[in-house]
Amino acid sequence: MPGSAPLPRSERPENPDFKSDLLALVPFLRAFARSLTGNPDAADDLAQDTLVKAWQSRQTFIPGTNLKAWLFTILRNQFYSDRRRAWRQVPWDQEAAERIPGGREDPVHSAELSDTVRALRHLSDEQREALILVGAGGFSYEEAAAICKCAIGTVKSRVARARKALIDILDGGDTLGDSARPAEGDAAREIMAQLDRLSPAEPPKKRD
Amino acid sequence: MTQQWEASVANEENPNEKSRAIRARQRAIGRELRRMYDDVAQEPVPEDFLELLQKIDHPSEGKQS
Repeated sequence: MPGSAPLPRSERPENPDFKSDLLALVPFLRAFARSLTGNPDAADDLAQDTLVKAWQSRQTFIPGTNLKAWLFTILRNQFYSDRRRAWRQVPWDQEAAERIPGGREDPVHSAELSDTVRALRHLSDEQREALILVGAGGFSYEEAAAICKCAIGTVKSRVARARKALIDILDGGDTLGDSARPAEGDAAREIMAQLDRLSPAEPPKKRD
Repeated sequence: MTQQWEASVANEENPNEKSRAIRARQRAIGRELRRMYDDVAQEPVPEDFLELLQKIDHPSEGKQS
């Protein structure tokens, strides 16, 4: 492709640092991809596809906005579009997931970690991604909502439900009974109610 | 990092024992998720990523000299 028909947006000067900005965020792309796929190889493929897409779309990135969130959005879109094309679908690799983090020798640490990691696979994709973005990735509810293309309240309730579900799974062992109706349903409702009262301090930023 | 997570956990001001236990569990889960994520994020960037970025602006069909 010749690349000689610039879009209107491309009047913006090319950012000479874009590539190094991408490189700096690779570790986070890999981490997010790993938690979505649960499979190290599929995760790295996904992260690499994301970089290519990001590079091709670099003119649509608005300088001064959150590059990390922009990249995560691309990664997430790529993940679901790969998913839809079944040929690319990689099942959650439990053994590989349990090897996260590779090379760590502390058995207590690993055992603890693998329980939570194992439990993650019982969550829906929506709950898992919300939980990872907010709970591990350090994104605000607002940013996570932008990445997941849903309302802030939706992210909040997904995070709350995911946390609750993880506790139930960890308490219940490997089998997630179909009637995993928690005895502390009131507490769960309370948590969700509290979460809903947490509103963002700043007005939503315009992103696009 | 994950201020909203902490805030949302801390905000649950129900003083009863059960919810205190739940809060503790939630904090522990938050720590584990961060550990899982950070462990990957702290791995050195694999060579193929560096190679990819190196050649990303030299599409194969338009060989640069």
